[in-house]
Amino acid sequence: MGQLVRQFVAGIYNLVVGLLTTGKHLGRHAVTIQYPKERWTMPERSRGMVVLLTDEESGLLNCTACLLCMRACPSGAIEIETAEDEKGKRVRYPKGFTLNYHICCFCGLCEESCTFAAIKLTPKYEFPEWDSQKLIWDRDKLQEMGRDVKYESRERKKGPDERIEAAALADGRPVPPEILERKAAEEKAKAEAKAKAAEKAKAEAQAKKEEASGTSEATGSKAESPEKKVDDSKEDTPS
Amino acid sequence: MAKTRDLYTEELVLNMGPHHPSTHGVCRLILKMDGEVITDCIPVVGYLHRAIEKIVENRTYAQCIPIMDRFEYVTAMMCDWAFCLATEKLTKLEIPERAEYLRVIMGELNRIASHLLCIGVTALDLGALTPFLYTFRERELILDLFEMTCGQRLTYNYIRIGGVARDIPPEFIPKCREFLNIINPKIDDYEKILTENPIWIARNKGVGIIPEQMVYDYAISGPSARASGVNYDIRKHDTYSIYDRFDFDIPVFFGCDSYDRYRARLAEMRQAARIIGQALDQMPEGEVRVKVTAAFKTEPGEVYSRIENSRGEMGIHLISDGSKKPFRMRARGGSYNHLMAVPEIVKGLKIADLVAVFASLDIIMPEIDR
Amino acid sequence: MELAPIFTWLYNRLLTVGLGLELTDIISLAALAVIVFGFLSVMALFLVWWERKFAGHIQQRFGPMMTGWHGVLQTIADAVKLIQKEDIVPAAADRKVFFWAPVIVFVCSFAAYVVIPFGNGLIVSDLNIGILYVIAITTFTIISLLMAGWASNNKYALLGGMRSAAQAVSYEVPMVLAVLGVVLVTGSMSMNDIVKGQSAWGGFHWNIVFQPLGFLIYIIAATAESNRTPFDIPEAEQELVAGYNVEYSGMKFAMFFLAEFVNMFTLSAVATTLFLGGWNGPLLPSWVWFLIKTLGMVLVFMMFRWTYPRLRVDQLMEFAWKALVPLAFVNLIYVGIMARWVNW
Repeated sequence: MGQLVRQFVAGIYNLVVGLLTTGKHLGRHAVTIQYPKERWTMPERSRGMVVLLTDEESGLLNCTACLLCMRACPSGAIEIETAEDEKGKRVRYPKGFTLNYHICCFCGLCEESCTFAAIKLTPKYEFPEWDSQKLIWDRDKLQEMGRDVKYESRERKKGPDERIEAAALADGRPVPPEILERKAAEEKAKAEAKAKAAEKAKAEAQAKKEEASGTSEATGSKAESPEKKVDDSKEDTPS
Repeated sequence: MAKTRDLYTEELVLNMGPHHPSTHGVCRLILKMDGEVITDCIPVVGYLHRAIEKIVENRTYAQCIPIMDRFEYVTAMMCDWAFCLATEKLTKLEIPERAEYLRVIMGELNRIASHLLCIGVTALDLGALTPFLYTFRERELILDLFEMTCGQRLTYNYIRIGGVARDIPPEFIPKCREFLNIINPKIDDYEKILTENPIWIARNKGVGIIPEQMVYDYAISGPSARASGVNYDIRKHDTYSIYDRFDFDIPVFFGCDSYDRYRARLAEMRQAARIIGQALDQMPEGEVRVKVTAAFKTEPGEVYSRIENSRGEMGIHLISDGSKKPFRMRARGGSYNHLMAVPEIVKGLKIADLVAVFASLDIIMPEIDR
Repeated sequence: MELAPIFTWLYNRLLTVGLGLELTDIISLAALAVIVFGFLSVMALFLVWWERKFAGHIQQRFGPMMTGWHGVLQTIADAVKLIQKEDIVPAAADRKVFFWAPVIVFVCSFAAYVVIPFGNGLIVSDLNIGILYVIAITTFTIISLLMAGWASNNKYALLGGMRSAAQAVSYEVPMVLAVLGVVLVTGSMSMNDIVKGQSAWGGFHWNIVFQPLGFLIYIIAATAESNRTPFDIPEAEQELVAGYNVEYSGMKFAMFFLAEFVNMFTLSAVATTLFLGGWNGPLLPSWVWFLIKTLGMVLVFMMFRWTYPRLRVDQLMEFAWKALVPLAFVNLIYVGIMARWVNW
């Protein structure tokens, strides 16, 4: 009998404690915000909308169509179309760059694999569309969305001329003549410097040969392991 | 002598279909019932099958990590971790100290988040609608911590082969310590609302008994096993990573019922908070990642590595043929074994008890269907 | 600012029109019915909104915020949505019964307000069987649950309906016994007498002070009567496959829904009258006190809903018959002894 009464009283007590625990939240401010009138500020590392970054100097994309991001994507959301110049070499500017948001899983592997600071995932997340085909973004849309994105630019070995030339070749436009002139002048200067250096090296080698003509200890130079060529095959890109 | 006429009764077949608020995902249960009491339960799975194990065979190891996130999206950090452990075992890769500590911190935070979800959803299924919102409010704090570190809230792609993706930002540690200060009083709150509540006790005590032998028969692991008196935790009994450097207890209860499974999860949350505090204190400076190139290959071989997930044992059986992509990966999740034990547990119980058992075993479908 | 003199003045004005006593009575009662109905409709709308805001704030979120200032028009938006829904009647359903079930539940919920004392002199008709009438009318709603379950031609709805009917009938017994304790002390079943019996001590001679166990039993039984958590098995989507109102859509569903809130208000009003002193109180007008106390009781019911998990069906019935009924008898014996010897 006493057990029953104790159980009863304990039960009532715990029920009341439960009520007080939920009741004490009545005075507290809500933890939610009224979207869309108020918005959270997303952390800067948030992985949202994918954009292509533009070089401020030339106004063109940083992308060199190296296809690393395409191969890194686990979903196959990136498709890059490359162009070739008259010598058959790949132009270092993407002719077409398609990002399919139906497939993209916002993992960020493309951003990590890019060595040119060309592709980035920004904290923006509001880009819904009524038409699902509008969620497949092409190069120009990606560039437009990335124009106001701040990023840490990497050191460029080559100047803006190279970008303008590559962009023109990729789009199939004629290269501006002043750039071609500058390039020709550079190549001429390089060729001259190379010829001078070759002559100098030849002269030095001649002098060394005359010195060491006595004993010839031919130490075979180590054969350098050939550098593994960058594999352009599509085996890493999931279909 | 009066003869009573036998009433004609029929066995009722009830379909608790894939669309149901209480089946924690898309699980179909075909229930054979005698009135209100369940006589048989046949689970039908496969509604969430995404062919993860096949997809992984066509992805390089680095590309597998986002896929493994989705193997069990509630504890995505730990899925990544299990996969990375398997791969690192194959290549005998040593990862930096700081990366190990960061992995432990993220893993334990994820464990707390997962238990918060489980307790909230258990309460929701049994009719207490408010603790659900409270646990999710705490879960938001953890997801904010994750978002400031890696950028995502559910599928992180943070724990990589060779360490972790990036170092934590400077605001992480103060926020994490703030969270650790908050979490224990909040767990006390949940206890006040639920643990001693006579209605909660009436719904959960003695419901869904899993005797100790059944734990061994079905390979039930995690808090569900520890609530049946089986003192087994992979972090202590088959230590991986740096768990031997931390001082934490394994809560074991002996009631074998839903009530003790709930209590085991609450206690585990407190222990996880302890581990995180110690890890934050002990964490050294340094690098967080060993550089792994795009042409990463493993040694040919076979390895099975397992971790203590919040739902039990999560194991990755990885067979590699020495190429850039895994030859075969088999992912083992604890929920599959628990679901297979459900028919035996619920024989003789009512539907309302089935809901309580299902929720307390913390069964979620992505682990089962992959 | 008492309202009773206004009604008396209006009635006298109506008499001077010169239609004769019976006709004047009929017209005045009809007018009162309309006023009470209007008040209750507004109260039901208000309660639905309040429950959602209250639930929101307990869960540290806002409730409805978009429709109107802080969501006050949310219930009206819901009502408009329900009105414009298609009224589906299942093909093999019993059409007449299907139609009359929500009507009965609606009518009976409102009919109980004939004897509720809203203030000093503000009672539609002070029957001398006041509280018995309330209990009898609220029991009528059980029939409508059975009708709804039967007419849906859905075995799960039938099971749900029968289960909720069983629950309601079981919890009538302790409720009536708790009420009996109050009637014993007051010596009359008339609601006005019960309230006047609590007017001592400056309006604070409440029955709850003397019969706390009776109050507790009444609250628990009332929660079960109005199908609210922790006794809301008939409405729990997570556990039941269907409830008695699964086949109802549109305005008929709205009837069940609103009737539930009106029922909750009725039970709170009865609790106020019986245990919390009715409209007694210093300083403020009597109808303000009534509203404060009744809404306070409604608040208690809402707190129960948003805090506690729900009981299983068999535990529910077990609790009613094995715990509440014996307790109610104990309470009755205690009240009887106190009334006889301590001379309450």
